[in-house]
Amino acid sequence: MIASFHQIVYFVRAAFGGLRGSPLPTVIAIVTIALAVVPLGGLLIITGNMGALLARHGESRQVTAFLEVDLSPDAESGLAQRAAALDGVSRVELVTREAALERFRERLGGGALLEALEENPLPASIEVTLRPGDDRGAAAEAAAAALRALPGVDEVAGGEAWVAGYARALALVRSAGLALGAILALATLLIVANTVRLAVYARRDELEILALVGASRTFLRVPYLIEGAVQGTLGGLLGVGLLYALFRVAVPQLGDALDLFLGWSQPAFLPPSRSGLLVGSGAGFGLLGAAIAVARTRVS
Amino acid sequence: MNGRGPAGPPRSAAVRPATSRRAGGDPLIRLFHVSKSYGAGSVALRDLSVEIRKGELVFLSGPSGAGKTTLMKLLFAAERPTEGQILVLGRNVARLGDRRIPALRRRIGVVFQDFKLIQTRSIEENVALALEVLGRPPREVRSKVFAMLRRVGLHHRRHDLPAALSGGEQQRVALARALVNEPAILLADEPTGNLDAELTIEIMDLVAAAAARGTTVLVATHDQALIRRYARRTLRLEGGRLIEDVPGGGR
Repeated sequence: MIASFHQIVYFVRAAFGGLRGSPLPTVIAIVTIALAVVPLGGLLIITGNMGALLARHGESRQVTAFLEVDLSPDAESGLAQRAAALDGVSRVELVTREAALERFRERLGGGALLEALEENPLPASIEVTLRPGDDRGAAAEAAAAALRALPGVDEVAGGEAWVAGYARALALVRSAGLALGAILALATLLIVANTVRLAVYARRDELEILALVGASRTFLRVPYLIEGAVQGTLGGLLGVGLLYALFRVAVPQLGDALDLFLGWSQPAFLPPSRSGLLVGSGAGFGLLGAAIAVARTRVS
Repeated sequence: MNGRGPAGPPRSAAVRPATSRRAGGDPLIRLFHVSKSYGAGSVALRDLSVEIRKGELVFLSGPSGAGKTTLMKLLFAAERPTEGQILVLGRNVARLGDRRIPALRRRIGVVFQDFKLIQTRSIEENVALALEVLGRPPREVRSKVFAMLRRVGLHHRRHDLPAALSGGEQQRVALARALVNEPAILLADEPTGNLDAELTIEIMDLVAAAAARGTTVLVATHDQALIRRYARRTLRLEGGRLIEDVPGGGR
């Protein structure tokens, strides 16, 4: 049946009338959807920030060689000169142990932990910038191998191995997120479907009367589908709101732990497109839950 | 019509029964050897054949359990016959797909003993339902609903909820809802069963007026006084069989 404009107006009116008429089930459905959206959104924030770091690193043409801590300043300068002579290297910067500690202090904003240190635990490093144009992966891997071969170099970061490891970790988080998302989606669908079924049951007499006067299946069901979609949208909006509040409260508390994952970059909240996707997912949960509920309902 | 009931042959034994003097149109309802059972040993209708013409007002009488309500349900496709064919408004209800039932019901008004009004909606909204399912514009809905409520004398109560009305008034609302989209057929199942004598006449006068305007009306009742008063064609059911088809005397 193709609904006329007047029928659409009727559907919307009936849907909002239904929502007003059963406030408790409506609130339960909205809160349920919001509670499902929060962890899903949290995972999106984590994977989004990890992905951004990976992308930044992927684009970065920098490889860092950490030097052994007992090298003399002359030896460190000598290593920097040898690094500059390597194939594909456009620039090198020597970061002395003192400079490294100063950077670390700036990033952490000072703190009692650093003050308590009796000696500087950080090694000196050589930050090598690769020439643009070459294949980034191969060039980085070649530079990393050449730096690793230099006597006095302890460890090299920025090679493909690190990137690949981080990418694997990101894939793992994404997979866990998908699994968790699927479980949450199923649980939410069941709760929403049962909430809508209760609403349908509560208005069973009304549905039978509508069927008596010639209401089609579509006419009977569309208001409930709209109800489900509205509940889902409101649940999605509430979920994104809660997520934002949690983000603002939790990020400052989780500073060190986040640094471990995000490498001192400032974590970002979901971009508008992802927030919209979450609200849309909420609407989808509501709509699908309602569709399941009404598909199981028979009116003679 | 079937003349082989347990109580002997009916007074009118022809397959095509007599019609009232006013009604002479095409048959709108035709039943051919219709039976309905609800599992073994529970037979509601047995081999029923009957024909009702356009504009007739027909009473369906019989004791409780005679099959009156089952026959009504078959006519608006709330039930399907176990055997036989039912033609309503040219459609074979026995074979009608679920998706085609609403279109049939939009041409049939139905009234029940318990009114079947939505208690959370106003009188006006209850009556409007029959037009809203058709997708009529709100202005047309309002104007037709007002006119219909005025016809049944309840236009001044249109914003009230059903609970604020008496039984007779609620039945008038149900009747208004059944008639507001000018259906070809009106089915009334014990429409006066909950009403006193005075209200019964009030409701039946409205039903008879609908028939006078050309609507085919079938009224199920066990109220013999009512049947005598209106003196219309009467189908008498007993034990699921049609045992009598009495032509009306007109009124």
